[in-house]
Parts: sequence; C-alpha cells; structure tokens
Amino acid sequence: MKPPVRLIARLDIKGQNVVKGIHLEGLRIVGQPGQLARDYYNDGVDEIIYMDTVASLYGRNNILPVIENAAREIFVPMTVGGGVRTIEDIVGALRAGADKVAVNTAAIARPAFLKEAANAFGSQCIVLSVEAKRRGPGQWEALTDNGRERSGVNVLQWVEEAESLGVGEILVTSVDAEGTRRGFDHELFSAVRQKVNVPLIGCGGAG
Amino acid sequence: MNLDSTFQPLDIKAEPTLSKVDIPKEYKLPLEVQYCKRCVVSNQRPRIVFDADGICNACRFSERKHTKIDWTERERELRDLCDRFRRKDGRHDVIVPSSGGKDSAVVAHKLKYVYGMNPLTVTWAPHYYTDIGWFNFQGLIHSGLDNLLATPNGVVHRKLTRLAFAEMGEPFQPFIYGQVAYPLAIAVQHGIPLIMDGENGEAEYGGDSDTEDKPGFTAEDAEKYWFSGRSVDSWKEYGFTDADLHMYRPPNIESLFELGVERHFWSYYRNWIPQEHFYYASENTGFKANPDGRSEGTYSKYASLDDRIDGFHYYLMLLKFGIGRTTSDAAHEIRDGHIERDEGAALVRRYDAEFPEKHYQDFLKYCQITEDYFWEVCERWRNDNLWERINNEWRLKQQVS
Repeated sequence: MKPPVRLIARLDIKGQNVVKGIHLEGLRIVGQPGQLARDYYNDGVDEIIYMDTVASLYGRNNILPVIENAAREIFVPMTVGGGVRTIEDIVGALRAGADKVAVNTAAIARPAFLKEAANAFGSQCIVLSVEAKRRGPGQWEALTDNGRERSGVNVLQWVEEAESLGVGEILVTSVDAEGTRRGFDHELFSAVRQKVNVPLIGCGGAG
Repeated sequence: MNLDSTFQPLDIKAEPTLSKVDIPKEYKLPLEVQYCKRCVVSNQRPRIVFDADGICNACRFSERKHTKIDWTERERELRDLCDRFRRKDGRHDVIVPSSGGKDSAVVAHKLKYVYGMNPLTVTWAPHYYTDIGWFNFQGLIHSGLDNLLATPNGVVHRKLTRLAFAEMGEPFQPFIYGQVAYPLAIAVQHGIPLIMDGENGEAEYGGDSDTEDKPGFTAEDAEKYWFSGRSVDSWKEYGFTDADLHMYRPPNIESLFELGVERHFWSYYRNWIPQEHFYYASENTGFKANPDGRSEGTYSKYASLDDRIDGFHYYLMLLKFGIGRTTSDAAHEIRDGHIERDEGAALVRRYDAEFPEKHYQDFLKYCQITEDYFWEVCERWRNDNLWERINNEWRLKQQVS
C-alpha cells in the first residue's frame, strides 16, 4: 500500500500579495492571500503553509494579520514561516491561529534554536524548512533568505541533525525545480527520506 | 573557470595621477541629495531630472509607458520595421548585440521565432566570464540562434581596464567601447543595416529624456549618441599602438552612412519589463538564475551575471553617486509594480553599499594591482559630499528611507 499523501498549499507572501517565481526568483504577484487560501480550502486542501518572503528583510513577520483572518474561516492546519527567529515569534504565530511554524534561516544560524523551540512547544509544532540547491550528484546545499544566500550547509547532514534536535516535520523545497512546473526532484526527496523518519513535505516543480 | 594562471604580466609604462576628483563638479550633481518620492533613485544619478512633485523622469516615463503608450500600435511599428529589413535569401537581416543574458535573449529569440527575422547575435565578451554567464550565453545559442563572439586581446583589455579604472573611475570602459562599436563594425562587415539594441537606458533608468520617444538612431546621430565619450585614440598616451586599439574603434562614419545603418531600441517597441524577460528566457532559451544566490550589491539573482568585474563597475558608481546596484534594480521593480517603495528602500539599505568581495581578488589580479592601489583609486573617486568616515569606516551620510 502506498503511504498516505497529504496535499498542502503553500502561499509565498510579500506585503499584501501572494507571489510566485522560478527558482525563487522573479517574484510575480499572483493574487491575494485571503482569497487564494479560501479557494484552496474550498477545493479540499489538507493544510496551508504561509511563507512571509520579506520577513527577514524587514526583521519582522508581517503576515500575522493574514493568519488571524484566515483562522476564522479556514479549518485545516496552518503553518507560518518566514522570519521566525525567537520563541516570542513562535508565540505570536500560534496566538494568531497557526498550528505550526517553519524555520530556516534562524535554525541554520543557530541550530540549538530548534531544540529550544521543540522543548517549548512540542515537536509537532516545529517544521524545518530547507531550500535545497543541487551542487552535484546526490549533493545539495541549504540556501537561506528565500534562496538568495548560500550557507555552505549540506542538506542531507542538516536534516539528520534537525531531526535529532526535535523538529517534527521537514519541508524540503527544491530551488532547481521550484516554479518550473516540470515535476518534483524525487531524487532529493528520496535522499532526505533515507536520512529522517519524521513526515516530509516535498515542494517545488509541481504542475 | 579560474583564469589567473593564464594572466601574463602587464607592462605598464605610464600611470594616471591619482589626484582627488571633485565628483559633484565633474558630473554636475546637485549638492543637496533628494530621493524620488515614487521610486528609490536619487538626484545624484547623472542627467536625471526631478519634477516639482519630486518624481524622477524615469518614473514619469514609466507612468506613460504603463498607461499612455499604445503598445499594440508600437508592435505594428515593429512589424513594419521588420518587413522593411527582412531578407528572403538566407542572409542575416538584423544584428542583436547580446551578452547571452535574459534581456537580449528575449530580443533575439522573439525576432527570430515571433517576427520571422534572421538575427545574428553579436557578443562582445565580458572581461572575465563567470561560469553562469558562459552557461547562459551557450544556452542562448543552443536555443537556436547564430552568434559571433568577439573577444579582444586579453593583455590589452586588462591594461585598458586597469587604466580606465584609475583614470575614469570606470573599469567597464573597455567593455563599453565594444558594446557600442562592435555591432556597428559587424554591421558594416556583413552588410546588415539593422541593429536591435535592448533598452534605452536614459529613458528606463533616468537620464536624458530627449530620446524617450525615439525608436533609435542612425548614422546622423552617431557623433552625439554613439561616440560622444572619451575617444579610443586618447589611450595612446599610455603607449597603446593602433593595432592594440583597432578592435575598440567604431567603423568610419562614411561606411555607416553608406550602409544606411539604423540602430533601434527594443524598449521603444515592446514594454521593457526585465522580470517578464526572466520568465520568457527561462522557458525558451535555457536561461538560469545564478545558482550561487543573489549577486553582491543587490538582491536579484538574474541580472548582470556574466562578468566577474561588473561588481566593481557598480561599486565605483556607489562611490561617485551613492547609488548602487540595488537602487537600479529596485527602482525598476517599483515602477513595474513588482515591489512597493518601502520594500525597495529596505532592500537598498540592506544591499546597496555591499562591497563586491567575491571577485575582489579576481579583480586585483585581472588589473594587476595591489589592495593599496585599489583603495587609492577608490578614494580618488569617492564623493565626499555623500560619504563620511565614522570609526575608521566609510559610510554613506544618508540613504533612501
């Protein structure tokens, strides 16, 4: 029997808009977060992920009002990512109605943050977000800041470490496949799958 | 590919004197800095004009572009132009100066596959190719286009770059010569009177507005618009020979008249939106954004990727005018409605003044200069009206907010 598949909508948010690029670049405005989330919900999506793509630029997460509004009419699990750096940021996201938070840049800068967060809120609440850029056969580097900065961190080692620090889920975005609509990078997902046991969310290339 | 080991020692016979340049005077810049209320550019960009409402002329042009210009009509003009020059005997009928980047890729690919022309893309090589630049250049050829790649003598080019960096504060000057002159030389040699450039920079980024409504230039305009800068021959004072400089020289003006050359801007005919070019080039010409993430000095991953030297062109611009690469990128994206002004301003404050560390050693080796010499040149071109030294560190006195 095939493992169960959950279909998750991801909304990359910038200011008032939902944006979409190719390889996380050339971000086009594609709609409004409220409307798109409602559409996905009505279409039967299992979960929604909101990513604030400019949170790190402004040094704050600006999408909490969006989450607050969504929480009143959307009854599937919601994850919030982008600019989550402190325990207070997580409290804010959960208060606004999020069920989980996704962390990338802050975790790469200080991996212990994942452990502190998992201890405080439980593993089920903490998602590691990885932006994976292929560097060679079977090798990927984790990028940060919405795919703009290199970290030098090896994705396969990183997911293993993050699992041991207590994350409950891993969101893997293939920067190479993202926005191309040419299919998922299954090799990446399988390689990550072999390293960790927590649920895995594959992202990039659908369509 | 790293080319350091191929660099021959440069024989420098004469050096420019490195006396401090009075930048506001040299470039006729206002002393009081003003930022456009709509985008993030300042009045320190040479030739830009701000109106009474504090809006720059690039924003005013953009407003017209997005609301008033009838692009269907402009496209009809483009089809007429193509019909006027199209050849049926298999010879090339239009030259597209192309780096292999996303913008010229769109121009060349559309001319061939949408407008039925037979373009010859002509590439004046970057000083020092990046791997991604070479990949994208090859990708364009393999998407189905003919290309001529012109690469000037490496020793002469390095020497000219070094001297232009010190004397003009513009390491890109040797590249600029070729960018302007070489397509004209190929036009004459191959008998192809039509050249299609990309954007009219003065209109798109702010500058001289007189040309906003011009589709392009002819031999009549050559002196004013193509050859107005520092002459190629003036470099002879540093010991260059005629043979050294030949590749940089434009063809003689009579040959341009005889050919009836017309050099047009694609941006006159089609609305110039770099982000849309990225989409088209990704889809059609194998274009890839920079795998190393954003370029230094900006947030973008898809613009100006092909030359290891170009960070220094932008850095000198930053020293002189307090405007870096982020300002140009963000200003255009604001005008195109991709980002809001406050995001643009935040991007400028974060990235605009970043030093191009990644290719710093490449640049020093390419120019055969020491770090001390590099900074001596930078101090020569630093605009003291815009910069101040605090705790041993140079900082811009103000940035857009």
